[in-house]
Amino acid sequence: MTDSKYFTTTKKGEIFELKAELNSDKKEKKKEAVKKVIASMTVGKDVSALFPDVVNCMQTDNLELKKLVYLYLMNYAKSQPDMAIMAVNTFVKDCEDPNPLIRALAVRTMGCIRVDKITEYLCEPLRKCLKDEDPYVRKTAAVCVAKLHDINAQLVEDQGFLDTLKDLISDSNPMVVANAVAALSEIAESHPSSNLLDLNPQSINKLLTALNECTEWGQIFILDCLANYTPKDDREAQSICERVTPRLSHANSAVVLSAVKVLMKFMEMLSKDLDYYGTLLKKLAPPLVTLLSAEPELQYVALRNINLIVQKRPEVLKHEMKVFFVKYNDPIYVKLEKLDIMIRLASQANIAQVLAELKEYATEVDVDFVRKAVRAIGRCAIKVEQSAERCVSTLLDLIQTKVNYVVQEAIVVIKDIFRKYPNKYESVIATLCENLDSLDEPEARAAMIWIVGEYAERIDNADELLESFLEGFHDESAQVQLQLLTAIVKLFLKKPTETQELVQQVLSLATQDSDNPDLRDRGYIYWRLLSTDPVAAKEVVLAEKPLISEETDLIEPTLLDELICCIGTLASVYHKPPSAFVEGGRGVVHKSLPPRTASSESTESPETAPAGAPPGEQLDTVPTQGDLLGDLLNLDLGPPVSGPPLATSAVQMGAVDLLGGGLDSLIGAPSFVAPPAAAVPANLGAPMGSGLSDLFDLTSGVGTLSGSYVAPKAVWLPAMKAKGLEISGTFTRQAGSISMDLQLTNKALQVMTDFAIQFNRNSFGLAPAAPLQVHAPLSPTQTVEISLPLSTAGSVMKTEPLNSLQVAVKNNIDVFYFSTLYPLHILFVEDGKMDRQMFLATWKDIPNENEAQFQIRDCPLNAEAVSSRLQSSSIFTVARRNVEGQDMLYQSLKLTNGIWVLAELRIQPGNPSFTLSLKCRAPEVSQHVYQAYETILKN
Amino acid sequence: MISQFFILSSKGDPLIYKDFRGDSGGRDVAELFYRKLTGLPGDESPVGMHHDDRHFIHIRHSGLYLVATTSENISPFSLLALLSRLGTLLGDYCGSPGEATISRNVALVYELLDEALDYGYVQPPSTEGVRNFIQAEAVVSKPFSLFDLSSVGLFGAETQQSKVAPSSAASRQVLSSRSDQSQKNEVFLDVVERLSVLIASNGSLLKVDVQGEIRLKSFLPSGSEMRIGFSEEFCVGKSELRGYGPGIRVDEVAFHSSVFLDEFESHRILRLQPPQGELTVMRYQLSDDLPSPLPFRLFPSVQWDRGSGRLQVYLKLRCDLPPKSQALNVRLHLPLPRGVVSLSQELSSPEQKAELGEGAFRWDLPRVQGGSQLSGLFQMDVPGLPGPPGQGPSASAPLGLGPASLSFELPRHTCSGLQVSFLRLTFRPCGKANPHKWVRHLSHSDAYVIRI
Repeated sequence: MTDSKYFTTTKKGEIFELKAELNSDKKEKKKEAVKKVIASMTVGKDVSALFPDVVNCMQTDNLELKKLVYLYLMNYAKSQPDMAIMAVNTFVKDCEDPNPLIRALAVRTMGCIRVDKITEYLCEPLRKCLKDEDPYVRKTAAVCVAKLHDINAQLVEDQGFLDTLKDLISDSNPMVVANAVAALSEIAESHPSSNLLDLNPQSINKLLTALNECTEWGQIFILDCLANYTPKDDREAQSICERVTPRLSHANSAVVLSAVKVLMKFMEMLSKDLDYYGTLLKKLAPPLVTLLSAEPELQYVALRNINLIVQKRPEVLKHEMKVFFVKYNDPIYVKLEKLDIMIRLASQANIAQVLAELKEYATEVDVDFVRKAVRAIGRCAIKVEQSAERCVSTLLDLIQTKVNYVVQEAIVVIKDIFRKYPNKYESVIATLCENLDSLDEPEARAAMIWIVGEYAERIDNADELLESFLEGFHDESAQVQLQLLTAIVKLFLKKPTETQELVQQVLSLATQDSDNPDLRDRGYIYWRLLSTDPVAAKEVVLAEKPLISEETDLIEPTLLDELICCIGTLASVYHKPPSAFVEGGRGVVHKSLPPRTASSESTESPETAPAGAPPGEQLDTVPTQGDLLGDLLNLDLGPPVSGPPLATSAVQMGAVDLLGGGLDSLIGAPSFVAPPAAAVPANLGAPMGSGLSDLFDLTSGVGTLSGSYVAPKAVWLPAMKAKGLEISGTFTRQAGSISMDLQLTNKALQVMTDFAIQFNRNSFGLAPAAPLQVHAPLSPTQTVEISLPLSTAGSVMKTEPLNSLQVAVKNNIDVFYFSTLYPLHILFVEDGKMDRQMFLATWKDIPNENEAQFQIRDCPLNAEAVSSRLQSSSIFTVARRNVEGQDMLYQSLKLTNGIWVLAELRIQPGNPSFTLSLKCRAPEVSQHVYQAYETILKN
Repeated sequence: MISQFFILSSKGDPLIYKDFRGDSGGRDVAELFYRKLTGLPGDESPVGMHHDDRHFIHIRHSGLYLVATTSENISPFSLLALLSRLGTLLGDYCGSPGEATISRNVALVYELLDEALDYGYVQPPSTEGVRNFIQAEAVVSKPFSLFDLSSVGLFGAETQQSKVAPSSAASRQVLSSRSDQSQKNEVFLDVVERLSVLIASNGSLLKVDVQGEIRLKSFLPSGSEMRIGFSEEFCVGKSELRGYGPGIRVDEVAFHSSVFLDEFESHRILRLQPPQGELTVMRYQLSDDLPSPLPFRLFPSVQWDRGSGRLQVYLKLRCDLPPKSQALNVRLHLPLPRGVVSLSQELSSPEQKAELGEGAFRWDLPRVQGGSQLSGLFQMDVPGLPGPPGQGPSASAPLGLGPASLSFELPRHTCSGLQVSFLRLTFRPCGKANPHKWVRHLSHSDAYVIRI
């Protein structure tokens, strides 16, 4: 007798027949009938009409029948909530059954019936079952708390189930512990603030003990939970690591990867000099290699994780290059991932081996894979300098094969090699030029055109070559058109006599016949540059380009740290933070690696804020400006990239490099008129203003006594936005000189050098009075404090808001932009005291519509204190009167650009709110003066 | 945590559907999954498929899709492991899980699921662990008969060609009905190794590794203690070679949690109390140093006349196995340059076959005796092939030729040399005949690549 016959009954009277059978007296018949119902339910037939009849079968001693009925209930209770109430009594009764199987079954099923009315009845039985003598019932009840929490969180909290659940963590049965941990973790994730999983050394110890006893699935729960714990010092971290390490040899890959996550995270706290650190590193490699022996899907997951680990700690797998060699029968997605890891592991020691492999791959059949392999050769050349020559000769060999797509990829990567090692391999240009005609892909054409333009002086027939491209100008893709435009302009600047006609032709094609705004804009810029100042044009267009960086497409360090905390999860497969793909608030708690803390200083060091934690206030940088500028001035080799962390930065580099060059020359020759940042529409900074002023209002540092008030340093440029460079800073004014106090922190993996800074034109002509002096290269994790003197002699352009300042900072990696607001009081000059007569006359002279009134609330100071405090920030009290018990202060101040501001401050004794009236010929400053008052008085 | 679980037939029809969280889009999700899977481009991994916030993790098991969905940032490894465990579990309870078996046993499958997953939390789904809670009885297609044992094959080894027919042991459910205890008196132990080799065009060995596992399928009651002995010279780790001589060495070993290692260090004996059902006792791997020579050597020579477009490939295959052993189902696969139009062949023995297909040719050798040498001469016409300039015959291979890959099975042979020397049951179930013990060794190729 088989169940399959249940599927075959499709007659019309089926429901009736079933109904009859369900109400039969014979147990066997009933059971068969319920089975039929379940079978119909599974294939999607609607059997909800049988609800009352099925529920009637519920009261039975036959466990099999009971289970079937419960199965039915779970499916249909939601659609028939009123009927579901009928079942409640049986549930409650079953929860008291002597058979633990039935008790557990009842609790489990009740939790799955997502009907509000039932949840009320669930509480009492659940409370009993949480304390049941049988562990099977207890673990089911623990899970049930999570279910109930999902339906009605308030109820769970009111009933105190969470506390009971916490007690279960110390249960004697590991299965119960594991489920309690899982339930608590999930509940805690939906309430990030609640301190549910209060991990402390004691509870950690319990978990570690349970770890040895429970099943592999329980181990995963517990390890994931451990990973969220931050040990208090390196000793504790080490002892946890020691107890987790045996999990690495577990047969279940999920356990292994969870253990790797815990170790990778806690290793962050261990000092690299420790012997134990080295031991741990050695222990990590074999299990990771073992993961690669699984099926392709599992391999892929493992490889994505290894890719992260290799970026964080390349030393773990540095001797294991061979395991990443591609097998011919690997699926393509595994091959590509292996290729990526091979390059990350490539070093001088193993480069010969890697290159030999890559060359083999480049002759395989699969086109996509071959392309990647050719690119990989280029990446090797850029990464390992010693190998560059061999890479280039390998690429030339590949070009000789004349296989179309191989040649094109090779040309694209050779262009990058030229960028990295200028004036070394240009001898191959001739060979490249031979293949000009076979290039049909935009990227390869663009790369070739770039090469021709860049080395125009060495290629005799450069003009002919470029001209040949120009014939089909309008059929080319935008990338090629932009490239062609730049290349011809370069050619013209190098050989002006022969190519005048050509450049005019391309400029008119770009500006008049094209409907691509980028192309037109770039055309116009070049045109004007060439027509007004050819020398400047030469400086801009032929400026020396910064070298491209060694590691391309590294995951940006802060994201990498977050992903390391997510090893083994979907986030590590997608290489995206969980917040990017998990709905709602669930599990979106930002995770960060623990800071390195030595045990000796742990007691007295208050600064243990997580190093990788994102700053509280997110200040926007101005990424669009970078792209815009890159577009205007330069030869980007790729569509504008809107800056996702995973984008190949080789392209991004390309997009801003000329600007970098421009910046260099700017600093070298300050007389140059138009700083590149001036091309930025001034109001781009506007949306950031409010956020920033909030920040200043919130700050509560103590101002220096002499000199005007100094706000505490705020983060202006978070590391995430600037490839690892974090800039925080503030403005000060002391003894008549303004300075910008900067703190530069290197959170990237490489050394930073060649810092330079440039301001955009701004309302008060603020400009650096000296170059940015960073004396030594900034090594990773190092921080340097710099005070940059500012002058107000720079060029003036009104900004919106008035006090916003757009700053470009350059280092060897890239150029970064950010915008900040400076407090106006740094501009108050020391000789801003007006004499009384003058004050009176001026006050009358300024029309009344220029008067602005503000309230300063919650300021507990009296008139004397106010007056002296303001005076230290160069707001001078000219006169003081007492009118009807109120103190009236008449004050004056002068801005660096000579604008006078007059103020009347009314202070009522006992009332903490002051009234401030400001009069000024330039009324737009009033708002900012008021803010300065607020800032000075409240700090 | 897991939101939904479903089993789809190979054609995408839902057979089992279970929703754990009540937050799902119902059955349409199954359809959505199938649409996504069938439309997946080849260079994208099927692991992280997702639709909006729903992420699919699936495996294929005996022609069925076992699929879990989740909307959280959960470990895909544990889900994959869970799904394959569920597949095994279904096999243990219902016999070989196929479309028909599943639809015959809907109630049982739901019961199993209830035990294995509660609210999407994974509960330990071991065959034994679940057993006490299961009420329904499996409906098996045909009763097990002892006669089936005559064709016992390997149950765990899914070789590349899948030519090893599933044995009766594989398709039999472990837990037959409770009343009938008499047949459960067998233990199967398989040592299966997968061999990956990469040989450069100059004949030097670039990479070799062996992935091995020891799989046990026990029909004995749970907790019966048994001991598996290895030869004494077996050692683990790179430094641990004992004395002189070849030694049997592996780099890394991982054991199942039911294995006790107290006698392993001293006597190379694994003591274990396996639950009933199927499990992997030990997994190991070995790379770079094989104790024995590689099973096959290929000596290719290529003549290519660019002028006439004639490509001549002469392949000599030497089998370096001991003379008493043999390799089965040997197939050589050689990708060819694009545009090959004809193939003519001269083979050294009549049972071989060579044919052209999909940009490559296949050379089939059903049986290769150890120590023997086989050869084949293949001539092809390749008009208009790009390649290095120059006229006349040259010895360099044109682009797109190679690498050659071999697939084969080596019965009764392990590449690492690891042999199970005994399998002892510590106690004999009283009143019953001595249990049948089956110990088998097998190696097969994973990726055996020879560059040309």
